[in-house]
Amino acid sequence: MSAGSLAGVVPVLTVGVLTCSMPAVSRPTVQFGVRVPGERAGSPVIRRERRAYYWRTAVIGVCCTVAAVMTRDYGSWWLPKIILLLELGADLSCFLVARRQIAAVKNADGWFAGRRQTVVADTGWRDDPPRFPVRWMIPALAVMAATAVVGALRYRGLPAHTATVFLGHRVSKSALSALIVAGQLYFTTVLSGLMLIVHRSRPDIEAADPAASALRYRRFLAVITRALLIMAALADLGLLLIALSDWQVYRLSGIGRALPVVPFAAGVLLLGVVAARMGQGGSRLNGNVRGLALAAGTDRDDDRFWKAGLVYVNRDDPALVVAARFGVGWMLNYGNPVAWLLIAGFAAWWAGLAVFGAAAGL
Amino acid sequence: MLLSIEPDGPVPIYQQIRDRIVEAIARGRQPAGSALPPIRQLAVDLGVNFHTVNKGYDLLRQEGLLRLGRKSGAVVRRDASSGPPDPGWAQDWAGRLRTLLAEAAAQGMPATGIVRECEAAVADFTFPAASEAWQGSGSPP
Repeated sequence: MSAGSLAGVVPVLTVGVLTCSMPAVSRPTVQFGVRVPGERAGSPVIRRERRAYYWRTAVIGVCCTVAAVMTRDYGSWWLPKIILLLELGADLSCFLVARRQIAAVKNADGWFAGRRQTVVADTGWRDDPPRFPVRWMIPALAVMAATAVVGALRYRGLPAHTATVFLGHRVSKSALSALIVAGQLYFTTVLSGLMLIVHRSRPDIEAADPAASALRYRRFLAVITRALLIMAALADLGLLLIALSDWQVYRLSGIGRALPVVPFAAGVLLLGVVAARMGQGGSRLNGNVRGLALAAGTDRDDDRFWKAGLVYVNRDDPALVVAARFGVGWMLNYGNPVAWLLIAGFAAWWAGLAVFGAAAGL
Repeated sequence: MLLSIEPDGPVPIYQQIRDRIVEAIARGRQPAGSALPPIRQLAVDLGVNFHTVNKGYDLLRQEGLLRLGRKSGAVVRRDASSGPPDPGWAQDWAGRLRTLLAEAAAQGMPATGIVRECEAAVADFTFPAASEAWQGSGSPP
């Protein structure tokens, strides 16, 4: 298997594993994007839909991975992407089917009827806010500095045009170097910037167990931020390995050419392990701190603000990011105009990169 | 301080914010001189509009429990140890309490039940600091 075909198969396999494991790391009180009371988390409809989702997404993942492996030698760049899109679409359909079934039973049986639905804020969170681990940015910055130093040393000795590992054709050395630096800047600034925003956003506190869930969220935020900053360093390292190959510092052949993929894969694996151990908002952490404060009721049934159970739109909520409903992570509040500014910024970055790439013949 | 509200409840959200802060002051969790979260921050943490929190804080300011400054932010102005309240306020409060008790009686709540609820509330909001302050300045109102 060549480096190019491996790069086509790995994303299909990764997406298959990640989407299949999503329900296991989500909050028990949010099942397939549907808010449920804590004592309903084990109800028959939820157990049935979780089982069905695992089977369906596992079969989809296996089929798509096999298809990607079997079609790897056709040499077309778009075929793996089509398979990946089909896989994502099929997984999304499985999610929506499970969501519809659970929401139907929830509404029919009135799971939230007569309950005291509350939102809890911990004002002490702002007196002693979680600190952003600035020192954990050092590995990413060190890799970027190393890239700049090696690039400066090698640049003069390079031919005007050089062959790239993944594109397979020759491009100008200035365009290639600029692209590597832009990629490293992108990973480092986006991951650090997003986690800085998350540190200023509201903690994910459960009404049923407010004080303990605030503690668990604090632990979760500290660990996941460090994991993401390591992920940024590993992504930068992957780009450095691509650069070193393109700058003719080393030369590998066959499967060895896939070496730059290894740091990326290690980063994804690290995040997967952290997510599996902690769960969304630290929900899988040891519950031995329970009982610090009285229950403040049940979490508010806020399904109406979640489009398709995945996209948060609430114009009255000034929060920019909120805890994601499915899997581990955060979601932008699309009812906040700043979220659209951020998206415009991302779009401008990618558009600029595309224009630059086209002009440089990448 | 854990501050919980019911966004879909019958009581307006600004009123709930005001009530929870009054309870925190009564329990001694927000003593005089302590700072409350900035309006924007509390709005983000509760997922409600800025104006809603602002209205709740403004109610507390009008009642003399909060001081709102451009630099200092929202600071608790008085608590149980700050001495007896204004006589006018005590009279107004007694009137509101009578109306509340009348509502309970009109709804058919027995006198023993009303007294039990009142005792539970007094036990919840214990006033050791207030008792000392009142003893120093004469008899309670």
